[in-house]
Amino acid sequence: MIHALIASTPLYLFIIEILKFFGGIGVLTLQLIRDTIKGKIYWKLVMEQVFQVGNRSLPLIVVTAISTGMVMSLQFGLGLEKFGGKMYVPKLVSLIVLREMGPVFTSLMVAARVGAGFASEIGSMVVTQQIDAIRALGTSPLKTIVIPRVIATFISLPLLVAIANVVSNFGALLVGYSELKLDPNFYVLKIIQTVTLMDYFSGFLKSFVFALCIAIPSCYFGLTVKNGTKEVGMATTKAVVVSSILVLVGNFFLSKLFWIVERLT
Amino acid sequence: MIEVKNFRKSFGSKEVHKGITFSVKKGECMGLIGGSGVGKSVILRSLIGLEKPDSGEILIDGEEITRYKENDLVEIRKKVAYVFQGGALFDSMTVYENLAYPLREHTNKTEAEIKKMISDQLGEFGLPKAETLYPANLSGGMQKRVGLARALMMQPKWILYDEPTAGLDPYNTRKIQEHILKLKATGITSILVTHDMPTAFAVCDKMSFILDGKIAFEGSLNEIQHDKSGIVKKFIDGEG
Repeated sequence: MIHALIASTPLYLFIIEILKFFGGIGVLTLQLIRDTIKGKIYWKLVMEQVFQVGNRSLPLIVVTAISTGMVMSLQFGLGLEKFGGKMYVPKLVSLIVLREMGPVFTSLMVAARVGAGFASEIGSMVVTQQIDAIRALGTSPLKTIVIPRVIATFISLPLLVAIANVVSNFGALLVGYSELKLDPNFYVLKIIQTVTLMDYFSGFLKSFVFALCIAIPSCYFGLTVKNGTKEVGMATTKAVVVSSILVLVGNFFLSKLFWIVERLT
Repeated sequence: MIEVKNFRKSFGSKEVHKGITFSVKKGECMGLIGGSGVGKSVILRSLIGLEKPDSGEILIDGEEITRYKENDLVEIRKKVAYVFQGGALFDSMTVYENLAYPLREHTNKTEAEIKKMISDQLGEFGLPKAETLYPANLSGGMQKRVGLARALMMQPKWILYDEPTAGLDPYNTRKIQEHILKLKATGITSILVTHDMPTAFAVCDKMSFILDGKIAFEGSLNEIQHDKSGIVKKFIDGEG
């Protein structure tokens, strides 16, 4: 009786859901590692997915990056102008973009666009028995569906982040020149003087981890769809929410990690 | 030979299969019939490891497969074709790519050989110009025929049909029946899950009727017609 009562409480169900998720992700990740190392990789499918994840996300990433850079430049410029510090705008914006905003915003956009796409596509394949058909034909849905998507995200996201970093700083420079009356040469010089390789890589390297935080849970939620199209919608929502949370929470720990590494070197 | 021994499976607290036992000899076609929700498709899916029973044995040519892991089942799945109810075609691929998929995965055939095989297969199924079409451009009947054509690309020894004629018009139903009979004539062993009794009577050698989680009747078409208990007749006549 007490067991039944506890088992029906929202907290209990939530904890079970969390445990199931981490258990499932753990098993899926181990299988992915094993199949990637041992099995054949379908490079044609990987390239198709690179096009879907990378090329198709580019317009969204460029718009997000340029507007983020422009807004940051404007806000910092207006704020610092009161204290005569607007010449610090290039330093501040470039550091924030390269270390945090570039990778995080790009990853969030990819989580929304690509994560949702993966979960809904794979979920629909489960509902229409296409995943069963892959298995029934003696092949593995992991090798043909999941691994190409994970590898494609792993390749594409860092490239998108690299582009977003440049575009975002360019947007900031545009506003610096047009609104804050900063000389473009001065702006670029300040960025070059300020930014170190460590600054760049501490942001860029995060994107590899974020790629896994997006692709694996999204595929997992797609694969765990069971009861029809309603669950496809739920899986899509979960994929976006969970991968966004993993990116945001993971960003803190990665920033902390790079901060420790920087102090040691 | 396919043997199922004491197959038991529950979904949640509901015990759907309470010890199903049957066997299908080489070259035979067995119809698995019963009301909706009795778990006919679950048994069929279990025969290629898409589902696992809670207990019991499934033997494919003497090989017990219920404890097999996904990788161990690959060889079985190359020999046992599964024809899905809706065709289960890969909607991001053309008909040609759907048919080429198992060949590219499991054989070393050249693209020219694959092209020839697909062309012959589609001709056989009355779909000679369908190669470049996507599943969304096909009618239900065409999708089922392409699904059957894909299942046969690896020249299987056994075929499992899951409602192959459900929702089809009389012309497409007859076409599917003809294909099943043609395959049966080649000595292929098959199991047919269906509610379409005319098709079952047209193609099967014997039938097993599931009721309350057990095989309530098993016998040849002649035995069904002369069954004194009348349980299968009741089902066929729609009386329960």
